[in-house]
Amino acid sequence: MTEGQDVLGEVVAMLVEVVGEDFLLDVEVGPDTTFNRDLALESIEFVALAEKLQGRYGDRVDLPAFIAGMDLDEIMNMTVGDLVAHIGSRLGAAAV
Amino acid sequence: MPEVTARGTRFHVQTMEPAGAAADPPGGAPVVVPVVVFVHGLVVDDLSSFYYTLAGPVAAAGARAVLYDLRGHGRSQRTATGYGAAEAVADLFALLDVLGERRVHLVANSFGGVVALNAALARPDRIAGLVLIEAYGPAERSGEWTEALLNTLGKSGLVLEYERLADQLLAIGWRRGGRKAATADALINGTSLLADLAALDPVPPAALASLPCPVLAIYGEHSDVAEAGALLARTVPDCTLHVMAGHAHTVLREGTAELLEVMLPWLAHHAGTAVPVATATAAPSGVRS
Repeated sequence: MTEGQDVLGEVVAMLVEVVGEDFLLDVEVGPDTTFNRDLALESIEFVALAEKLQGRYGDRVDLPAFIAGMDLDEIMNMTVGDLVAHIGSRLGAAAV
Repeated sequence: MPEVTARGTRFHVQTMEPAGAAADPPGGAPVVVPVVVFVHGLVVDDLSSFYYTLAGPVAAAGARAVLYDLRGHGRSQRTATGYGAAEAVADLFALLDVLGERRVHLVANSFGGVVALNAALARPDRIAGLVLIEAYGPAERSGEWTEALLNTLGKSGLVLEYERLADQLLAIGWRRGGRKAATADALINGTSLLADLAALDPVPPAALASLPCPVLAIYGEHSDVAEAGALLARTVPDCTLHVMAGHAHTVLREGTAELLEVMLPWLAHHAGTAVPVATATAAPSGVRS
Protein backbone atom coordinates (compact mmCIF):
# COMPACT_ATOMS: atom_id res chain seq x y z
CA MET A 1 0.00 0.00 0.00
CA THR A 2 2.73 2.36 1.00
CA GLU A 3 4.71 1.45 -2.08
CA GLY A 4 1.61 2.01 -4.24
CA GLN A 5 1.20 5.46 -2.70
CA ASP A 6 4.86 6.21 -3.35
CA VAL A 7 4.60 5.15 -6.98
CA LEU A 8 1.42 7.21 -7.40
CA GLY A 9 3.16 10.23 -5.92
CA GLU A 10 6.11 9.78 -8.23
CA VAL A 11 3.93 9.33 -11.31
CA VAL A 12 2.02 12.51 -10.44
CA ALA A 13 5.28 14.40 -9.95
CA MET A 14 6.47 13.22 -13.38
CA LEU A 15 3.18 14.27 -14.95
CA VAL A 16 3.64 17.75 -13.49
CA GLU A 17 7.14 17.88 -14.95
CA VAL A 18 5.95 16.78 -18.40
CA VAL A 19 2.79 18.84 -18.70
CA GLY A 20 3.64 21.85 -16.58
CA GLU A 21 2.08 22.78 -13.27
CA ASP A 22 -0.33 25.35 -14.71
CA PHE A 23 -2.22 22.70 -16.61
CA LEU A 24 -2.66 20.34 -13.69
CA LEU A 25 -3.70 22.90 -11.06
CA ASP A 26 -7.40 22.29 -11.49
CA VAL A 27 -7.15 18.50 -11.64
CA GLU A 28 -6.84 16.34 -8.57
CA VAL A 29 -4.84 13.42 -9.95
CA GLY A 30 -5.73 10.06 -8.43
CA PRO A 31 -5.86 6.40 -9.47
CA ASP A 32 -9.10 6.93 -11.43
CA THR A 33 -7.78 9.85 -13.47
CA THR A 34 -7.58 9.02 -17.18
CA PHE A 35 -4.73 10.31 -19.28
CA ASN A 36 -7.01 11.20 -22.13
CA ARG A 37 -10.33 12.44 -20.78
CA ASP A 38 -9.22 13.97 -17.49
CA LEU A 39 -5.70 15.11 -18.21
CA ALA A 40 -6.05 15.62 -21.99
CA LEU A 41 -2.50 14.34 -22.26
CA GLU A 42 -1.04 14.69 -25.75
CA SER A 43 0.57 11.66 -27.33
CA ILE A 44 3.97 13.39 -27.36
CA GLU A 45 3.56 14.04 -23.63
CA PHE A 46 2.94 10.36 -22.98
CA VAL A 47 6.21 9.64 -24.80
CA ALA A 48 7.97 12.01 -22.40
CA LEU A 49 6.24 10.42 -19.40
CA ALA A 50 7.21 6.92 -20.57
CA GLU A 51 10.80 8.05 -20.79
CA LYS A 52 10.79 9.48 -17.27
CA LEU A 53 9.34 6.22 -15.94
CA GLN A 54 12.04 4.27 -17.72
CA GLY A 55 14.66 6.59 -16.23
CA ARG A 56 13.25 6.17 -12.72
CA TYR A 57 12.46 2.45 -12.67
CA GLY A 58 14.67 1.14 -15.45
CA ASP A 59 14.17 -2.12 -17.25
CA ARG A 60 12.39 -3.66 -14.28
CA VAL A 61 9.18 -1.94 -15.38
CA ASP A 62 9.71 -2.59 -19.10
CA LEU A 63 7.19 0.00 -20.20
CA PRO A 64 7.81 -0.51 -23.94
CA ALA A 65 6.66 -4.14 -23.58
CA PHE A 66 3.67 -3.00 -21.52
CA ILE A 67 2.43 -0.58 -24.19
CA ALA A 68 3.59 -2.63 -27.20
CA GLY A 69 0.35 -4.59 -27.25
CA MET A 70 -1.87 -1.50 -27.18
CA ASP A 71 -2.74 1.06 -29.79
CA LEU A 72 -2.61 4.75 -29.00
CA ASP A 73 -6.29 4.98 -28.02
CA GLU A 74 -5.91 2.15 -25.52
CA ILE A 75 -2.82 3.77 -24.04
CA MET A 76 -4.48 7.15 -23.68
CA ASN A 77 -7.64 5.60 -22.20
CA MET A 78 -5.63 4.08 -19.33
CA THR A 79 -6.04 5.49 -15.85
CA VAL A 80 -3.18 6.66 -13.70
CA GLY A 81 -4.10 3.72 -11.43
CA ASP A 82 -3.60 1.22 -14.30
CA LEU A 83 -0.09 2.52 -14.82
CA VAL A 84 0.72 2.59 -11.10
CA ALA A 85 -0.58 -1.00 -10.74
CA HIS A 86 1.64 -2.17 -13.59
CA ILE A 87 4.68 -0.50 -12.07
CA GLY A 88 3.86 -1.88 -8.63
CA SER A 89 3.44 -5.44 -9.90
CA ARG A 90 6.71 -5.32 -11.84
CA LEU A 91 8.60 -3.86 -8.87
CA GLY A 92 7.10 -6.54 -6.64
CA ALA A 93 8.09 -9.27 -9.10
CA ALA A 94 11.61 -7.88 -9.38
CA ALA A 95 12.00 -7.86 -5.59
CA VAL A 96 11.16 -11.57 -5.20
CA MET B 1 18.88 10.17 -24.60
CA PRO B 2 15.92 12.55 -24.38
CA GLU B 3 17.57 15.82 -25.37
CA VAL B 4 20.39 16.43 -27.78
CA THR B 5 21.89 19.81 -28.49
CA ALA B 6 22.97 20.20 -32.09
CA ARG B 7 23.74 23.41 -33.99
CA GLY B 8 22.96 25.31 -30.79
CA THR B 9 19.40 24.00 -30.72
CA ARG B 10 17.83 21.58 -28.25
CA PHE B 11 16.22 18.55 -29.94
CA HIS B 12 13.93 15.96 -28.37
CA VAL B 13 15.20 12.51 -29.37
CA GLN B 14 13.89 9.04 -28.52
CA THR B 15 15.78 5.85 -29.29
CA MET B 16 14.34 2.35 -29.28
CA GLU B 17 17.06 -0.25 -29.06
CA PRO B 18 16.74 -3.35 -31.25
CA ALA B 19 15.06 -6.37 -29.74
CA GLY B 20 17.52 -9.00 -28.58
CA ALA B 21 20.49 -6.72 -29.22
CA ALA B 22 23.67 -8.71 -28.85
CA ALA B 23 26.67 -7.24 -27.06
CA ASP B 24 29.86 -6.96 -29.07
CA PRO B 25 31.77 -10.21 -28.71
CA PRO B 26 34.98 -9.79 -26.70
CA GLY B 27 37.87 -9.28 -29.06
CA GLY B 28 35.64 -9.83 -32.11
CA ALA B 29 34.24 -7.47 -34.67
CA PRO B 30 31.51 -5.19 -33.31
CA VAL B 31 27.95 -6.26 -34.07
CA VAL B 32 26.58 -4.03 -36.82
CA VAL B 33 23.09 -2.82 -36.01
CA PRO B 34 21.06 -1.18 -38.77
CA VAL B 35 19.86 2.29 -37.81
CA VAL B 36 16.50 3.66 -38.95
CA VAL B 37 15.78 7.36 -38.37
CA PHE B 38 12.19 8.64 -38.51
CA VAL B 39 11.38 12.14 -39.86
CA HIS B 40 7.88 13.46 -39.16
CA GLY B 41 5.65 16.05 -40.86
CA LEU B 42 4.77 19.70 -40.28
CA VAL B 43 3.34 21.89 -37.50
CA VAL B 44 0.90 19.65 -35.58
CA ASP B 45 3.01 16.54 -36.21
CA ASP B 46 5.81 15.24 -33.99
CA LEU B 47 7.75 12.05 -33.30
CA SER B 48 4.79 10.47 -31.47
CA SER B 49 3.11 9.68 -34.80
CA PHE B 50 5.95 7.21 -35.46
CA TYR B 51 6.50 6.23 -31.83
CA TYR B 52 3.14 4.48 -31.59
CA THR B 53 3.04 3.05 -35.12
CA LEU B 54 6.18 2.01 -37.01
CA ALA B 55 9.12 2.53 -34.65
CA GLY B 56 8.33 -0.32 -32.25
CA PRO B 57 7.98 -3.00 -34.95
CA VAL B 58 11.16 -1.72 -36.68
CA ALA B 59 13.10 -2.01 -33.40
CA ALA B 60 11.56 -5.44 -32.83
CA ALA B 61 12.89 -6.44 -36.26
CA GLY B 62 16.42 -5.69 -35.10
CA ALA B 63 17.09 -2.04 -35.99
CA ARG B 64 17.92 0.83 -33.69
CA ALA B 65 14.97 3.19 -34.17
CA VAL B 66 15.85 6.86 -33.72
CA LEU B 67 13.01 9.38 -33.53
CA TYR B 68 13.39 13.14 -33.17
CA ASP B 69 11.17 16.19 -33.14
CA LEU B 70 12.04 18.60 -35.94
CA ARG B 71 13.10 22.11 -34.93
CA GLY B 72 10.11 23.99 -33.47
CA HIS B 73 7.98 20.84 -33.32
CA GLY B 74 6.92 18.55 -30.47
CA ARG B 75 9.29 19.01 -27.56
CA SER B 76 12.22 20.39 -29.54
CA GLN B 77 13.27 24.01 -29.16
CA ARG B 78 11.31 26.54 -31.21
CA THR B 79 13.77 28.92 -32.78
CA ALA B 80 12.72 32.10 -34.58
CA THR B 81 14.28 31.01 -37.87
CA GLY B 82 15.84 28.00 -39.58
CA TYR B 83 12.94 26.05 -41.09
CA GLY B 84 14.17 25.61 -44.67
CA ALA B 85 15.20 22.29 -46.21
CA ALA B 86 18.94 22.99 -46.02
CA GLU B 87 18.64 23.85 -42.31
CA ALA B 88 16.58 20.73 -41.62
CA VAL B 89 19.16 18.58 -43.42
CA ALA B 90 21.99 20.22 -41.45
CA ASP B 91 20.01 19.59 -38.22
CA LEU B 92 19.61 15.92 -39.11
CA PHE B 93 23.28 15.27 -39.80
CA ALA B 94 24.39 17.30 -36.76
CA LEU B 95 22.08 15.14 -34.63
CA LEU B 96 23.44 11.95 -36.17
CA ASP B 97 26.98 13.18 -35.45
CA VAL B 98 26.13 13.71 -31.78
CA LEU B 99 24.48 10.28 -31.61
CA GLY B 100 27.49 8.69 -33.32
CA GLU B 101 25.46 7.31 -36.21
CA ARG B 102 27.31 7.29 -39.49
CA ARG B 103 25.09 5.65 -42.10
CA VAL B 104 21.32 5.27 -41.67
CA HIS B 105 18.03 4.51 -43.37
CA LEU B 106 15.41 7.26 -43.22
CA VAL B 107 11.67 6.74 -42.87
CA ALA B 108 9.83 9.99 -43.61
CA ASN B 109 6.20 11.04 -43.54
CA SER B 110 4.65 13.96 -45.45
CA PHE B 111 6.94 17.04 -45.20
CA GLY B 112 9.60 14.81 -43.65
CA GLY B 113 10.08 13.53 -47.20
CA VAL B 114 11.48 16.91 -48.23
CA VAL B 115 14.09 16.59 -45.49
CA ALA B 116 14.86 12.95 -46.31
CA LEU B 117 15.23 13.44 -50.07
CA ASN B 118 17.47 16.47 -49.65
CA ALA B 119 19.54 14.61 -47.05
CA ALA B 120 20.07 11.66 -49.41
CA LEU B 121 21.10 14.02 -52.22
CA ALA B 122 23.40 16.08 -49.98
CA ARG B 123 25.20 13.16 -48.32
CA PRO B 124 24.70 9.96 -50.31
CA ASP B 125 27.51 8.35 -48.30
CA ARG B 126 25.44 8.60 -45.12
CA ILE B 127 21.93 7.66 -46.31
CA ALA B 128 21.59 3.98 -47.16
CA GLY B 129 17.94 4.03 -48.17
CA LEU B 130 14.66 5.94 -47.98
CA VAL B 131 11.14 4.96 -47.07
CA LEU B 132 8.96 7.86 -48.21
CA ILE B 133 5.39 7.84 -46.89
CA GLU B 134 3.09 10.39 -48.53
CA ALA B 135 6.21 12.47 -49.07
CA TYR B 136 6.17 16.02 -50.35
CA GLY B 137 9.20 17.16 -52.30
CA PRO B 138 9.33 15.62 -55.77
CA ALA B 139 7.78 17.90 -58.40
CA GLU B 140 8.36 18.88 -62.03
CA ARG B 141 8.02 22.62 -61.42
CA SER B 142 8.64 25.10 -58.60
CA GLY B 143 5.52 26.04 -56.68
CA GLU B 144 3.67 22.94 -57.82
CA TRP B 145 3.61 21.40 -54.37
CA THR B 146 4.40 24.32 -52.05
CA GLU B 147 1.32 26.24 -53.13
CA ALA B 148 -1.25 23.84 -51.71
CA LEU B 149 0.82 23.32 -48.57
CA LEU B 150 1.22 27.04 -47.95
CA ASN B 151 -2.43 27.78 -48.64
CA THR B 152 -3.44 25.30 -45.98
CA LEU B 153 -0.89 26.49 -43.45
CA GLY B 154 -1.46 30.17 -44.21
CA LYS B 155 -5.19 29.85 -43.74
CA SER B 156 -4.78 28.12 -40.39
CA GLY B 157 -2.24 30.82 -39.49
CA LEU B 158 -4.78 33.55 -40.18
CA VAL B 159 -7.43 31.77 -38.16
CA LEU B 160 -5.11 31.41 -35.21
CA GLU B 161 -3.98 35.02 -35.42
CA TYR B 162 -7.32 36.75 -35.67
CA GLU B 163 -9.66 34.51 -33.80
CA ARG B 164 -7.23 33.71 -31.03
CA LEU B 165 -8.40 30.15 -31.24
CA ALA B 166 -5.73 28.89 -28.87
CA ASP B 167 -6.75 31.25 -26.07
CA GLN B 168 -10.39 30.40 -26.55
CA LEU B 169 -9.76 26.67 -26.38
CA LEU B 170 -7.65 27.07 -23.28
CA ALA B 171 -10.28 29.29 -21.68
CA ILE B 172 -12.89 26.58 -21.98
CA GLY B 173 -10.52 24.03 -20.53
CA TRP B 174 -9.88 22.11 -23.72
CA ARG B 175 -6.25 21.73 -22.88
CA ARG B 176 -5.13 19.42 -25.64
CA GLY B 177 -6.76 21.34 -28.44
CA GLY B 178 -5.50 24.50 -26.81
CA ARG B 179 -1.92 23.30 -26.54
CA LYS B 180 -1.84 21.94 -30.09
CA ALA B 181 -3.36 25.13 -31.42
CA ALA B 182 -1.00 27.25 -29.34
CA THR B 183 2.01 25.35 -30.71
CA ALA B 184 0.74 25.69 -34.27
CA ASP B 185 0.04 29.38 -33.69
CA ALA B 186 3.53 30.00 -32.34
CA LEU B 187 5.15 28.16 -35.24
CA ILE B 188 3.07 29.67 -38.02
CA ASN B 189 2.80 33.22 -36.72
CA GLY B 190 5.88 33.48 -34.55
CA THR B 191 8.67 32.02 -36.69
CA SER B 192 10.01 32.19 -40.23
CA LEU B 193 8.37 28.83 -41.04
CA LEU B 194 5.96 30.05 -43.75
CA ALA B 195 8.58 32.25 -45.41
CA ASP B 196 11.10 29.41 -45.32
CA LEU B 197 8.59 27.00 -46.87
CA ALA B 198 7.68 29.52 -49.56
CA ALA B 199 11.35 29.69 -50.53
CA LEU B 200 11.66 25.90 -50.89
CA ASP B 201 12.56 24.43 -54.23
CA PRO B 202 11.04 21.09 -55.17
CA VAL B 203 13.31 18.13 -55.87
CA PRO B 204 13.25 18.06 -59.67
CA PRO B 205 13.36 14.97 -61.93
CA ALA B 206 17.05 15.39 -62.75
CA ALA B 207 17.98 15.27 -59.06
CA LEU B 208 15.66 12.32 -58.44
CA ALA B 209 17.35 10.46 -61.30
CA SER B 210 20.68 10.89 -59.53
CA LEU B 211 19.54 9.35 -56.24
CA PRO B 212 21.96 6.49 -55.57
CA CYS B 213 20.07 4.81 -52.72
CA PRO B 214 17.03 2.53 -52.92
CA VAL B 215 13.65 4.16 -52.27
CA LEU B 216 10.37 2.67 -51.10
CA ALA B 217 7.58 5.16 -51.86
CA ILE B 218 4.14 4.64 -50.31
CA TYR B 219 1.19 6.85 -51.23
CA GLY B 220 -2.54 6.78 -50.66
CA GLU B 221 -4.63 6.17 -53.77
CA HIS B 222 -6.65 9.34 -53.19
CA SER B 223 -3.80 11.48 -51.85
CA ASP B 224 -3.36 15.02 -53.11
CA VAL B 225 0.38 14.30 -53.35
CA ALA B 226 -0.02 11.01 -55.25
CA GLU B 227 1.64 12.60 -58.29
CA ALA B 228 4.88 12.87 -56.27
CA GLY B 229 4.82 9.09 -55.88
CA ALA B 230 4.34 8.56 -59.60
CA LEU B 231 7.22 10.94 -60.31
CA LEU B 232 9.49 9.06 -57.90
CA ALA B 233 8.63 5.77 -59.62
CA ARG B 234 9.39 7.27 -63.06
CA THR B 235 12.69 8.91 -62.17
CA VAL B 236 14.47 7.28 -59.21
CA PRO B 237 16.68 4.43 -60.51
CA ASP B 238 15.88 2.02 -57.66
CA CYS B 239 12.32 2.83 -56.57
CA THR B 240 9.48 0.63 -55.43
CA LEU B 241 6.09 2.37 -55.42
CA HIS B 242 3.25 0.99 -53.32
CA VAL B 243 -0.16 2.64 -53.65
CA MET B 244 -2.56 2.05 -50.78
CA ALA B 245 -6.06 1.47 -52.08
CA GLY B 246 -8.79 3.56 -50.51
CA HIS B 247 -6.37 5.76 -48.57
CA ALA B 248 -5.65 9.49 -48.81
CA HIS B 249 -2.84 11.42 -47.09
CA THR B 250 -3.22 9.97 -43.59
CA VAL B 251 -1.84 6.47 -44.29
CA LEU B 252 0.53 6.49 -41.32
CA ARG B 253 -2.29 6.64 -38.79
CA GLU B 254 -5.01 4.83 -40.72
CA GLY B 255 -3.01 2.25 -42.67
CA THR B 256 -0.33 1.26 -40.16
CA ALA B 257 -0.72 -2.51 -40.60
CA GLU B 258 -0.45 -2.36 -44.41
CA LEU B 259 2.51 0.03 -44.16
CA LEU B 260 4.35 -2.46 -41.96
CA GLU B 261 3.53 -5.32 -44.33
CA VAL B 262 5.26 -3.42 -47.13
CA MET B 263 8.03 -1.77 -45.16
CA LEU B 264 9.39 -4.58 -42.97
CA PRO B 265 10.27 -6.93 -45.88
CA TRP B 266 11.82 -3.96 -47.73
CA LEU B 267 13.95 -3.08 -44.68
CA ALA B 268 14.87 -6.76 -44.24
CA HIS B 269 16.13 -6.80 -47.82
CA HIS B 270 17.90 -3.43 -47.81
CA ALA B 271 18.89 -2.83 -44.17
CA GLY B 272 19.35 -6.39 -42.99
CA THR B 273 16.65 -6.38 -40.33
CA ALA B 274 14.76 -9.57 -39.50
CA VAL B 275 12.56 -11.02 -42.22
CA PRO B 276 8.95 -10.83 -41.01
CA VAL B 277 7.63 -14.27 -40.06
CA ALA B 278 4.66 -14.05 -42.39
CA THR B 279 6.88 -13.53 -45.44
CA ALA B 280 9.94 -15.47 -44.29
CA THR B 281 8.60 -18.76 -45.55
CA ALA B 282 7.55 -17.27 -48.87
CA ALA B 283 10.81 -15.42 -49.50
CA PRO B 284 13.13 -16.97 -52.06
CA SER B 285 16.40 -18.27 -50.72
CA GLY B 286 19.54 -16.25 -51.22
CA VAL B 287 17.88 -12.83 -51.00
CA ARG B 288 20.43 -10.08 -51.35
CA SER B 289 20.84 -7.76 -48.38
